[in-house]
Amino acid sequence: MAETQIGRSAAFFRVEGTLLDRGPLAAAAWLASNAQGVGERIARLGNVALAAPLAFAGELRTGATSTRVTWMGLRGMSEDRLVILAEEYGSKYVEGEVLEIGAELLKKARKQGRQIVLVSDNIDLVVAPLAEALEADDLICNRLEIRSEKATGRLEDPVIGGNVSGQWARAFAQEHGIDLSTSWAYGASGADSLLLSAIGQPCAVNPDRQLRRLARDHEWPVVEK
Amino acid sequence: MSEETGRKEDRVSGPKKNGTNGRRNGNGHSLGAKGIALEGGSIREAFAGKHLLVTGVTGFLGKVWLGMVLDYLPEIRRATVIIRPKKGEDANARFQWIAERSPAFRPLRAKLGAKAFRKLIHDKIRVVEAKLVEPLCGLEEHEADTLLADVDAVVHFAGLTDFEPDPQQAIDANIHGAQHAADLAARTHGKRYIHVSTTFVAGRRSETIDESITVGVAPNGTAFDPAEELRILEAGIAERETKSQRIDYAMERANALGWPNIYTFSKALSEHLIESREDVRTTTFRPAIVECARTYPFEGWNEGINTSGPLVWLLSTTFQRFPARTTNIFDIVPVDTVARSMVVVVAEALRDRAESVYQCGSSAINPFNFRRAVDLTGLAIRRMYARRGDDFEKKVLAKLDPICAEPDPNEVFGHRRMRLMARATRNFLRSFELRENISPKLYEKIDGEKVDQKLRKFSMDCRTTDRKLGQVNDMLRVYLPFVNEIAYVFSTDNLVAATERMSEEERALFGFDVETICWRHYWVNIQVPGLDKWSLPLLRNEKVPDDPPLEVTEAEAARDDNEDAPMRATA
Repeated sequence: MAETQIGRSAAFFRVEGTLLDRGPLAAAAWLASNAQGVGERIARLGNVALAAPLAFAGELRTGATSTRVTWMGLRGMSEDRLVILAEEYGSKYVEGEVLEIGAELLKKARKQGRQIVLVSDNIDLVVAPLAEALEADDLICNRLEIRSEKATGRLEDPVIGGNVSGQWARAFAQEHGIDLSTSWAYGASGADSLLLSAIGQPCAVNPDRQLRRLARDHEWPVVEK
Repeated sequence: MSEETGRKEDRVSGPKKNGTNGRRNGNGHSLGAKGIALEGGSIREAFAGKHLLVTGVTGFLGKVWLGMVLDYLPEIRRATVIIRPKKGEDANARFQWIAERSPAFRPLRAKLGAKAFRKLIHDKIRVVEAKLVEPLCGLEEHEADTLLADVDAVVHFAGLTDFEPDPQQAIDANIHGAQHAADLAARTHGKRYIHVSTTFVAGRRSETIDESITVGVAPNGTAFDPAEELRILEAGIAERETKSQRIDYAMERANALGWPNIYTFSKALSEHLIESREDVRTTTFRPAIVECARTYPFEGWNEGINTSGPLVWLLSTTFQRFPARTTNIFDIVPVDTVARSMVVVVAEALRDRAESVYQCGSSAINPFNFRRAVDLTGLAIRRMYARRGDDFEKKVLAKLDPICAEPDPNEVFGHRRMRLMARATRNFLRSFELRENISPKLYEKIDGEKVDQKLRKFSMDCRTTDRKLGQVNDMLRVYLPFVNEIAYVFSTDNLVAATERMSEEERALFGFDVETICWRHYWVNIQVPGLDKWSLPLLRNEKVPDDPPLEVTEAEAARDDNEDAPMRATA
């Protein structure tokens, strides 16, 4: 089994920016705004809003802190509500909202026989249906910790933050028998730079200013539409 | 055979079954699950060649059960169904309509086709027009003897399930009807009587309710004589002129013994009276709240206004504070789970190894509490309105999530003030004349007639609102004991044990399967959409369509032609 896996090539897609415009903050805010009861909605939205400044605050942006704070606002929400609402969020804001450029790249990668790996700092309830629809082989994302049928507001470890490290990518490749030197990685923001650096064939998709500069420095291909 | 007969006689003439909860064989000895398993015998074998007399097949559960038996157990020899004429329609016509148009028989009709379905009904079902409220169900002695000559068991589904009916009607349907059905059973050779009751006969007892009955002991521990209680109750009801007086009186009697309403009181009295009888071998089946089907006859089917229909309707309005205790269990069971359990119970009775009482609920194995129920109802309503709501429903009602809240008696569930305002406005507007209160000039200027019309319409709206809020209050008052005050858990050990004894094949068809219910999926994708389609229209005084008339399809006709061809050639 291990033998057949050695040398397999993969295509890592950072969901946020390459496949979807909306990030986890939008999902968490929408879920919070649909809590049970008006007072609860306001309180939860306020909590999620705390994460917004962190998303633009230098180091905090790229680490897991911002991601952790984002989902804290859902503490105490029932698992039932999260599952049902996430389905609604998916049908409204995920299905049919996949970026054309990302979909094309994914299609091409699959045609080339690459293992499709989606990486997201969103929660599984939101992105798992997307991974299924896109027939991805693996989905690396966050999971809300649930106790007594309610969200604790914490994320299960390991937390996928804004910044996915190269170390993580190497560990994943080793575990799944993937040859990183022949694999591709697609990212859209500066936070994806570590992931892209760790993979043999990085590619910037609709990059932000930071990633564009990095791509230019390293002569990474840039795809835009 | 002689040994079996001996066991039957022992059991029939044996002592009263007071508080029995152990597994019994015919001699009243306890048997372990393994002992019974060794005795063997499948459900199919139990039904093979048997003739059942069934009441209440026009009801929700009765229909599904009969459809399931005919579908899965064609080995049954016959089912004689007792139906009363209604609204100028005789029993045969009523049953034919049910068989050919009710969704309960849809799988069977689809499987067999029109011709074979009609043949099956003709071969297996005999319809008898009779009235359960009359002694011997209104049959002559000789008619009853002929009818019952080869009946193996009487299965009694019929009953009145309204929570607050006219008490005499409840007594007639739930007590006298059951006694008359048991009288019929007493005349059969096997004397087997399967009595469908309800788990809520437990009354006001917040505890785990065993599968047993202690005759003559009320839920609050009071010792009483069931026959004497019935006599006093009927005499008291007869003395009272209005329905509300009769209800108040019956409620007083019920509460004094620990039953929260007339329905549970009448069903419980019936159980006590039936269990006191020495001339029949009674097996009591107590389902909890029977709701939409999971798979049989098909996903989501429901009929009539059942327990959760009005609650879901209420929560789909602006009503948000539902007076339920979050930890109380909403003991829901899908109708197909109840029907398959009932198949098992009848099979056990036919094999003379049934327990005294079988409870069929979800609270012991897969509890569904009101916190979840109310949360999921809000989410399901949100989906319902997203699918088919108008702007107000989509943008406002869909976003108003109900919550569990402690009831405030001074506020009457938060609607008292609203109701008082509506009534005061209505009273004011009823005697208000715009013309008399403003100058003629101004009246003309503002087109007073039009304003008057609008005020009259608003006055009528206030009256409607007042009445609707009154209905809501009445409904919540009736439901309050079950959603807030009493915390039940109904033991279902007997069905679990019976399921354990089944073969894998039979378990798939008839096993007690409440542990497999995913409440989130069931409530949001099956139950609430099912109610929306099959029950809520009735609350809006709209009709629910029957299935289209049964017609022989072209394929069936062609198949028949092919089958007939060689016969014609031979002729």
